[in-house]
Amino acid sequence: MCGIVGYTGARADRSVREVLLTGLSNLEYRGYDSAGVAIANGSLAVRKREGELPELKAAMEGGAEPVPDDGLAGIGHTRWSTHGPPSDANAHPHTDCGGRVAVVHNGIIENYRDLRESLAERGHEFESDTDTEVIPHLIEGALGQGDEFEAAFRRAVDRIEGSYAVAAVHADRETVHATRYRSPLVLGLDDDGYFLASDVPAFLEYTDRVVYLEDGQFASIRPSGAEITDERGSLVDVSVETIDWEPEDAGKSGYDHYMLKEIHDQPRAIRRCLRGRLRELDGAVEIDELGGLDRPKRVHFVACGTSYHASLYGARRFRERGIPSTAFLASEYDVGKIPIEEGTVVIGVTQSGETADTLTALREANSAGATTVTVSNVVGSSASREADHVLYIRAGPEISVAATKTFASQQVALTLLASAITGACDRDTLEALRSLPDHVQSVLDQSRAREIAAEYADAEMDAYFFIGRGYAAPVALEGALKLKEISYAHAEGFPAGELKHGPLALVTERTPVFAVVTGDSRAETMRGNINEVASRGAPVVAVTDSPEPLAADVDHVVPIPETDPRLAPILANVQLQLVAYWIARELGRSIDKPRNLAKSVTVQ
Amino acid sequence: MAIETAVVLAAGEGTRLRPLTRNRPKPMLPAATKPILEHVFDQLLEAGIERLVVVVGYGRNRVQSHFGPTYRNTPITYVTQESQLGTGHALLTAESAVDGSFLAINGDQIADDSIVRDVLETHGDGSKAMPNDGPAATLALLRRPADGEYGGAHVDDGRVTELEESPGDDRSYHLNAGIYACEPAVFDAVREATSETGEHSLIDGLSRLVSSDDLVRGVVTEGTWVDATYPWDLLDVSFALCDAGMLEADPPAGDRSAATIHDRAVVREPAVIDRDCVIGPGAVVGPYVCLGENATVGSNAVLERSVVDADTTVADNATVVDCVTGTGVTIGAGSTVPGGPGDVRVGDRVFEDESLGALLADRVTDHGGVAYVPGTIVGPDTELRTGATVRGTVPERTEVWP
Repeated sequence: MCGIVGYTGARADRSVREVLLTGLSNLEYRGYDSAGVAIANGSLAVRKREGELPELKAAMEGGAEPVPDDGLAGIGHTRWSTHGPPSDANAHPHTDCGGRVAVVHNGIIENYRDLRESLAERGHEFESDTDTEVIPHLIEGALGQGDEFEAAFRRAVDRIEGSYAVAAVHADRETVHATRYRSPLVLGLDDDGYFLASDVPAFLEYTDRVVYLEDGQFASIRPSGAEITDERGSLVDVSVETIDWEPEDAGKSGYDHYMLKEIHDQPRAIRRCLRGRLRELDGAVEIDELGGLDRPKRVHFVACGTSYHASLYGARRFRERGIPSTAFLASEYDVGKIPIEEGTVVIGVTQSGETADTLTALREANSAGATTVTVSNVVGSSASREADHVLYIRAGPEISVAATKTFASQQVALTLLASAITGACDRDTLEALRSLPDHVQSVLDQSRAREIAAEYADAEMDAYFFIGRGYAAPVALEGALKLKEISYAHAEGFPAGELKHGPLALVTERTPVFAVVTGDSRAETMRGNINEVASRGAPVVAVTDSPEPLAADVDHVVPIPETDPRLAPILANVQLQLVAYWIARELGRSIDKPRNLAKSVTVQ
Repeated sequence: MAIETAVVLAAGEGTRLRPLTRNRPKPMLPAATKPILEHVFDQLLEAGIERLVVVVGYGRNRVQSHFGPTYRNTPITYVTQESQLGTGHALLTAESAVDGSFLAINGDQIADDSIVRDVLETHGDGSKAMPNDGPAATLALLRRPADGEYGGAHVDDGRVTELEESPGDDRSYHLNAGIYACEPAVFDAVREATSETGEHSLIDGLSRLVSSDDLVRGVVTEGTWVDATYPWDLLDVSFALCDAGMLEADPPAGDRSAATIHDRAVVREPAVIDRDCVIGPGAVVGPYVCLGENATVGSNAVLERSVVDADTTVADNATVVDCVTGTGVTIGAGSTVPGGPGDVRVGDRVFEDESLGALLADRVTDHGGVAYVPGTIVGPDTELRTGATVRGTVPERTEVWP
């Protein structure tokens, strides 16, 4: 997964170079192991560098030939390696043999080996290990046969199979051509310029008017206009949408890291998720956008990573209302072998709405005849268009690679969904939901996570374990995921009952254990589990809504406010997020951009 | 070039407003339903300020999370004052974020935009060809007694001749409204004004300019100017904003269309009801009630002359008059806050006959049927059990039984 941008425009005060760099910097969350740009201006100026954006910026501004300010059109790319290691050569854009055509691409070209072989036979020379590089050579071949640039671009795209959002420029043209298939691509329209990008934040500070391209559509942008056509080249009627969030939603606002900002943003994010959906006076939850969705007979959740943990929690909330529900890892979801019966609803949970594994699972569920629902944070995302129904979690943009506020918002959204779909909601539950933003705020106001992190952030530790039962079990898994993502320490989470079936063998005084003990999690049994690890010398930190009975058994008690026991794990999770953040900080990690990871995984 | 940047001082706790400041600084306490600081920003933007530099310290997460990187499309730069070493020190913290002339203003007092405009206009163009003929600083003075709570100044023909941090003598001073247009020279003056304790006072810095040859102008002006010195002042501050029509800003404080109000509830104006609020049947809300975001008023509850902060619940049949609450407070079913006057104890001082029914800090939970003696202050996270009677000052994180 990667991010691509393209721009052409006629404004004197806005250079192609500047727009591309801004766009790439706003897309860095999609990948950041290398980056590059190509700007057409009679000739083609291509610069690409392994490393983060400042490296690229230096390469563009310094050196013998700084990239000119007055290009006609340009494309850019920020990369997260799938084919070939991060290096200058493997960075995009890729060019043809003549250096006249440059291409950026997000996705995977499945038949690139065959294409590359046949191109090589015809004398094309390749400089990288990437799948992408076949595209400029295919375009070059078609141009050589007399095609116009646009026709050549279409012919090249015809040849490739797989998933792609791809954009191309030609040295002599002021046009950028682009298309997508199963990778995101959005067009931005301004009065004097046109933008293409994998995601809206790339150009949000220039314009909020966008068109989401569908699979198989082509976009051509030139300073005088933009057009969108279908596979056969016929013009398509499109609807222009206006983005209602502000570019400033994506600033650090005084925090050292986006992750910390987003952790502190949770009370507001949860408020937005709840807003207009609770009918306190009627005793119900209503979700406008889910009109026509009946009570399901059976629910399958499909999701990956943090969204999978939210799904485990969501499945429990559906089961508590009598609906058989199971959470599947999207990459393991195989409708051929998992029965979809009449009345089965498949719910895809994906923050970005672009997660390739989840998209594939939703598509298969659709074709198997299931009713599908997407739970996503991104309006207009691929998954939101794939499913029959969409529930937006309204967390606002999340930039840090490690998901925090979107996990909380997903849990809240799935709680709302379970209530809305099954009828009435009792007053205590409604009140607990309405109090949740303030309860999260109180955790943030009073957390001692920083001190605890300082005590256990130690390279001498062998591993960190997270345990919980019931509604708290998914939070134990998520706590471990967060810590490993950003601190690079080994961390595992499991339902506490599983301890004695294996993991206990690993427990020593160098394996701190974080136990989530909340109202529903059978505190007495948890106490037994805590004693199992404590008696083997492990330091124990209990995150709990009833501190007093545990205080004697553990090294630290991290309190959370008392609330509905089914919502308490959401509060416990905030403490674990803060612990992970401060441990990573103590260890000097990069936090917002952990090694080898990217925000939305658009490859399978 | 006109002054475009305002440095807003929002790093201090405001200890006299304890226990409301347990989790957030004074600028984040509610005036009507929005933080005081948000009103300050509104007036600055009205007056033409285009960039905000906010000095944060105590409880800075709350400020940063509330506003984010911009306010109404105006960029905010946050600078952190790690230790609270005076207003001058706070200003110096912002020095690297400021280029050229700027406005300095307290983030915990609300002045309407006409006062800000008067200061900016009187100060005039800072970048004159002759640097010595313009004022080094210009401050707003009000025709009100500076009775020891506030700084005062003497002014002669628009020129400030004397500045006092807290005037103690019998002479009559103009009140210093805490709004200063400044040239960069103010930074040097403040830097040089170091007290024995290492603190920097803004007033001492400006006094140095007054006593040197630099021109410090004072503009005597009028307009709404409000400040909460003690917790119960939040009531008068909020009501003054209601009466002055200062709640019409964009976005409006208290967007009633986004609240749920039962057909059989009665709202008596003036009342500010923020979004996500729920008011049950038979409830009577107002006059002079400000309900923060997501507050709940139960069936047949009666609420008058009170400022109720976000996420607070006033349960069925409760009666609440002259009350200030923090966030997440629960006033239980049938509880009674009968209203002032009452004697209020703050630290070692007792204030007699203040119109305060009760002050309940963040997340006080009352389980119902609780009677509040006028003037009661309850600390954060304290639980009041059913049927308890509370009076005086109840410390934080305690439990009160009947």
